[in-house]
Amino acid sequence: MDIENLMIEILCDILDADASEITKESYLIRDLDAESIDLLELAVNINQQFSIDVIEDDLFLRQLRLFIDEANERNIDLSTYLKTKYPFLENDRIAEIIADVNLGPVLKVKDLIHYVSINT
Amino acid sequence: MKLEFSGERALIVGGSCEMGIYLAQKMIETKLHPILTFRNDSGRNRILSHMKDRYEGSFSTLLLNFSDLNTIEMIPKSAYDQLTYLVDFVEGNYESLIAGACNDSVNDYFLNNLVFRAALLKKISRAMLACKKGRMVYVSSTAAIRQNPGQGFYAASKQAAEALYRNIGLELGDRGVTTVSLRAGYVNSGRGKKYLLNNINEPLNRKLLKIEHVTETILFLLSDSAEGFNAIELVMDRGLTSGK
Repeated sequence: MDIENLMIEILCDILDADASEITKESYLIRDLDAESIDLLELAVNINQQFSIDVIEDDLFLRQLRLFIDEANERNIDLSTYLKTKYPFLENDRIAEIIADVNLGPVLKVKDLIHYVSINT
Repeated sequence: MKLEFSGERALIVGGSCEMGIYLAQKMIETKLHPILTFRNDSGRNRILSHMKDRYEGSFSTLLLNFSDLNTIEMIPKSAYDQLTYLVDFVEGNYESLIAGACNDSVNDYFLNNLVFRAALLKKISRAMLACKKGRMVYVSSTAAIRQNPGQGFYAASKQAAEALYRNIGLELGDRGVTTVSLRAGYVNSGRGKKYLLNNINEPLNRKLLKIEHVTETILFLLSDSAEGFNAIELVMDRGLTSGK
C-alpha cells in the first residue's frame, strides 16, 4: 500500500472517519476535528507503520507560529526561514501555509504524507 | 472468582524485589508472561535464583536502571511487543528530615524516581496506545497521604508518580490504556519488613498486610474484571490511615 493510502487508512481508524471524507487537502484540525490525543495516536501509528522516528513538533507544525514571530522579529524572509525549519515541506506548500495561517491550524493530510516520504 | 486476562505480557518494573518476584510467579500460574526488570547484577541474580529452576522459559528479564536514562533507550523493541500490562514497584530509598536533606541527594532522588519514570511511562504508554490496549498498576504507599517524619521526599515522590499514572489514565483511557495506583499500607516485605522489625507493636501488627494479599490484589487490578477502575488511587491498609 502506498504512503497516501496507508496514511488515510490510519486516519480513518483514529478519527473514526470514512475514507471518502479524507483527502490530501483535508485539514487535520479544521476539517477532521483531530484533537491532541488523536495527534499523539497518529504519531505512534506513523512511527509503527512506517518504521520512522517521528519528531512530533515538526510533523504537526507545532512551533509554526513561534517561527513566524521569530522571522518577523529578526526581519528574515519568512519562506526561507520556514524552509529551514520544515525541510520536508515544498516551497509551494510553505507559500500556501503563510497565506493560510491566520485562518486557523494549517496542518493538512498532505503534510503528513510529505513528512513520511522524506523520512522513509 | 477466576480472573480473566485479555493480554499476555506484563512488565514488572522493580521486578527483583520480593513482591515483584512473587507476583511474577503468580502471573505465570495465570498464564501471563512476566518481564522482570533489574537494575544491576545483584537484582538479576536474585530473580534468577528464585525463578530459573521452576519457571524457565516462562519469564524474561530486562535491565532497567532508574539512575541511568540510557537504559530506556537500550530496551529492545521486542520488549514492547504485545505488552499489555505494567506493574511498577520501583521507589528509591531516601529518608531524611526536610530541614536536614542534602540538596544533591534530593536532586538525584527526584531525577531517578520522577524524571526517569516519566520517560519510561512515555515509552510504554505509546507502545500500549499503538495496540489500543494497556493496563498499568502503580504500587504506591499510604505514605503518599500519611507519611511519617523523615518520609517527606518519599511521600512527595509517591504523590507525583501517582499523578503521572492518573493522567495517563485520564488521557488514554478512552483509547484502551488505563491505570490505577494501589496505596499499600504496612507490608511484611522489603523496606516495610525492615521498618517493622524496629517498630513492631500489637496494634500495628494487626494492620499488617501479607505479601500474598497485595499481589493477589495487583493481579485483580490487572484483570479484565477491574477495568472499571481507572485514573484513581485505591488504599489497601486494613483501615490504618482512616483512624487516628
